[in-house]
Amino acid sequence: MGQPLDPAPHPATPNIWLAEFQAILQGAVGGFLFGIPLLYTVEVWLIGSTTGPRWQLVVLAVTLVGVALLTQVEGFRQTLSLHPLEALLESIEAVAIGVGCAALALVLLCRITLETPLSEALGKVVFEAVPFALGVALARSTLQGKRGRANETGAPSASGSERLANRRTTAPISRRLAALSRVNLSDALVDLDAALIGAVLIAFSIAPTEEVPLLASSLPPLWLLLIMAASLGLSYAIVFASGFTDRAKRQQRGLLFSPITETLAAYLMTLLASVVMLVLFQQLTPNDPWSEWLSNTLVLGLPASIGGAAGRILI
Amino acid sequence: MDEPNFPDRLSPPNDAENFTQRSAAEWVTFMVASIILLALVGLICFDWQTNQNRPPAFTVAVSEAVRVTDGRYYVPFAITNTGGRIARMVQVTAELHQVGADDETGEQQIDFLSGHETKAGSFVFTHAPQAGELVVRVASYRLP
Repeated sequence: MGQPLDPAPHPATPNIWLAEFQAILQGAVGGFLFGIPLLYTVEVWLIGSTTGPRWQLVVLAVTLVGVALLTQVEGFRQTLSLHPLEALLESIEAVAIGVGCAALALVLLCRITLETPLSEALGKVVFEAVPFALGVALARSTLQGKRGRANETGAPSASGSERLANRRTTAPISRRLAALSRVNLSDALVDLDAALIGAVLIAFSIAPTEEVPLLASSLPPLWLLLIMAASLGLSYAIVFASGFTDRAKRQQRGLLFSPITETLAAYLMTLLASVVMLVLFQQLTPNDPWSEWLSNTLVLGLPASIGGAAGRILI
Repeated sequence: MDEPNFPDRLSPPNDAENFTQRSAAEWVTFMVASIILLALVGLICFDWQTNQNRPPAFTVAVSEAVRVTDGRYYVPFAITNTGGRIARMVQVTAELHQVGADDETGEQQIDFLSGHETKAGSFVFTHAPQAGELVVRVASYRLP
């Protein structure tokens, strides 16, 4: 392996990094989508806390094998057919992305803090990394729209520049000026609708569980701001930064909202959905203090916003 | 609009050429990924070597700072697993022996206590613990 890399400045050099960053982002997004339900499962934390190092290594190895098998069919990169050795390299990367995302998510939810003993932290990371790593390997096949995949199939070497060009492609000015027409408004509503469907799909199975109040009550006061920032950032990354969507198509129909406005509007929508679900399952009652309403809603809002973003790119 | 598929671009000329398509950025990702995984495996092995052959052992520290609220005495304690392995269902009992009054007991069960982990709580008594003899000890635990 390893022909010496060409040190000469390649014309596409900046785009290699952009494309790679986008591929990693896509993998991470897939990881979060798959991993979030198990992240909100108290049993996984407990199993992780009590498992010994030997078993942790076994789980890690099994994950690597599973991801390698998946990567033979679908990797997180845009490459179509892979050399077996290259598939192995890519699955190592996928597992590492899964480990990284799982660790970040566990820290975000305060399941790993500075007080957590090393063995517990390692166990939690290893067990949560399993769904995350599988999600990374499946990122492209789950999140890429059929249209996008057809395009990729046509041009397997679609470089970052090409995709960047796609992103920049917008409707002609004349159509942009007609942005506030009824058609565009209804398109924007379709987006919010999709966000709602996605949010309910992912968060409905989490809302009735005891993990939501458990997590919410264990967060330090200002930590909720971090959860909000992560929800918004992940939502933005899934829809706008990862390159899963057909940008030209989106720009043409969603002109009412800029990406940031759309992210914020969708987040508010998912928060609303979270409150409704929590009230429906009687997790929140009028007797609860407002701070509990706030923290529970924001904690459930994280998976809901990830689901909402996935809904917006898939529906 | 869907682009037509180009079968000739679908199938690479040969495997070797396909393999070299990895870009510098992809190699950087691979190296960082390998470092992350090796670090994780290294930490697990380190934990294995240092902690797993040391059975759980406990020290219970009872704080002198007793809080009195509504006529009840709150005695904070902190239990530390000084061993390496995790212990489950650690049972901490407190007995307050006093002259001229019935003994008071308190019981606390701690679900998980990893090696080197400390967990804190309080026992609540209706009599001043300073007036009697307070014994706090770990009664039992279970291995996972």
